[in-house]
Amino acid sequence: MFAERIMTTNIATCSPDQPVHEVIDIMTEKRLHTLPVIDADGILLGSLNTLSVLNRIVPEYIVTGDLKAVPYAPDFGLLRKHYLALNNSKTTVAEVMERHPTTVHANESLLSVTAALITYDRFEFVIVIDDASKMLGIISSNDILRALHDQFPLEIETV
Amino acid sequence: MSLEAATTASGFMPAHASTAIFGLPSVWLAIAILLAVYAVIMMEKFNRAVLSLLGAGIMILCGVLNQEQAIAGVDFNTIGLLTGMMVIVAISQKTGMFQYVAIRAAKLVKGDPWGVLVMLSVVTALFSAFLDNVTTVLLIAPVTLLITDALDVKPYPFLFSEILASNIGGTATLIGDPPNIMIGSQAGLTFYDFLVNLAPIIPLIMLTTMACIWVIFRRDIHASREARELIMEFNERDALKNIPLLKKSLSVLGMVLIGFTTAHELHLEPASIAMFGAALLLLLQTWSCDLEEKNHAFEGVMAEVEWTTIFFFVGLFIIVTGAEHTGIIAFLADKMLELTKGDFNATVAAVLWTSAIASAVIDNIPFVATMIPMIHDMAPTFGGAEAIRPLWWALALGACLGGNGSLIGASANLIVAGFAQRAGHPISFFTFIKHAFLLMILSIVIAQIYISLRYL
Repeated sequence: MFAERIMTTNIATCSPDQPVHEVIDIMTEKRLHTLPVIDADGILLGSLNTLSVLNRIVPEYIVTGDLKAVPYAPDFGLLRKHYLALNNSKTTVAEVMERHPTTVHANESLLSVTAALITYDRFEFVIVIDDASKMLGIISSNDILRALHDQFPLEIETV
Repeated sequence: MSLEAATTASGFMPAHASTAIFGLPSVWLAIAILLAVYAVIMMEKFNRAVLSLLGAGIMILCGVLNQEQAIAGVDFNTIGLLTGMMVIVAISQKTGMFQYVAIRAAKLVKGDPWGVLVMLSVVTALFSAFLDNVTTVLLIAPVTLLITDALDVKPYPFLFSEILASNIGGTATLIGDPPNIMIGSQAGLTFYDFLVNLAPIIPLIMLTTMACIWVIFRRDIHASREARELIMEFNERDALKNIPLLKKSLSVLGMVLIGFTTAHELHLEPASIAMFGAALLLLLQTWSCDLEEKNHAFEGVMAEVEWTTIFFFVGLFIIVTGAEHTGIIAFLADKMLELTKGDFNATVAAVLWTSAIASAVIDNIPFVATMIPMIHDMAPTFGGAEAIRPLWWALALGACLGGNGSLIGASANLIVAGFAQRAGHPISFFTFIKHAFLLMILSIVIAQIYISLRYL
């Protein structure tokens, strides 16, 4: 069982110079948590995650942990302000994206892919690349569990 | 008179100490250690507690002091008062009461940006008078960033004003600023003495400073109606996270403050009151928890105490005691009296202005630690401990207010600058000093007039 056999290949991607608000449209419409960022040749440059977008919307003093809890702040008020500011700005994907997403090679074992997810558990996804860093597909934690579940459906009971 | 002659003549050379260590007279060695430690602290490349403990260690290893004398030189009244207050604040801040007060203040003026600036500055000054300045700005600056963000105004004027307010407010009481704690403890001045002698001038200094800030920034601060409405949507009651703990904290804080004002009559030192309050609040905060939770909470509070500051003080007291033993402090005091020709008014002015300028450039804590024995040495010239009281007020006003002179003048200034930097609004050294230095000088002029009218 190799990474390339369970990865999803038909996925939405974005380019580094795209404005962020365009990508937010795609992400919200398709309910995606992560989009690989690739250049014209399909080389992986990074990934755009919903959390990195939210990171841009949440004020800096909260991101840095200087102000830890704000239970008294009004609902939406400040988020709306920063969200609109991000949407109206010319901020590009390259400025917001995660530059070092977790990646695996197409021929890596499923155990190795799982290990990569667990060890760098910042995201629920790993991106599959070939030797030239070309993006091939994406594997979510759910994909792995599903692969196991489908592969070994009733074995436990038959033993 | 040469330095060696002065030390021998003044009889300050302790009998036990060898006069030469590694072929060097101990007086030069003590000066070298003192200056080297202060210089490396100013470079800001090493933790200052480590440097002061290292300097203290060298003083002892080289035989300028023995261990017993070193320990006797540590003012445990200062250490206890600082530690006790840090513990009390570490627990009380978890209740969210500081955020509550800040948001409440901003809403009281209906989110009018100028009103908010004034209110937050006054809140900062009041908190600084009763708590450590650093703690105050640690609590107020992040909320200020939130409020100015909601108001859509630049945070700089607000933070600038809060820095000045914290140092001005801290000047008012015995416990407001570490120099005052040291002066009070070592000159035998009470909480009440500080309240009667220093606090009365603070409102005028604050008012003048706020007026100048208005002139400097009045064009920069405007908020839209929507932004002001957003402020009114804040619900400060939600900031109060733990009502039972809030009640306990406020009770203990109240008791401690009453204790400070009556300490003298009860023949108690402030450190005893602060440490008792700290122990009581530590006990109360986890009254009904099991032992494991109690231990965990205790360790959490201990981790929040600023041990760097505490150990910095310990080392510093030893270094200064070493310098005192060799007679250099007495020599410096003599030199200062020579310069002022033994005139009391001139000496008060010299202490005030030297403290102010020095505190703007270097950490005011080592400066004050060195000045205190110097002023003690001047007492006989001016007719005893009672007569030199104005010198203590001059030192306190100069050292505390002087902290406003530059961004590195006080720890609180640097803390605020750190917050501003991380939030993407860096405060540069030069932007700050451009306005702050003149405002500091203005406050010292007011202090000079006050001292002259009241005491001279």
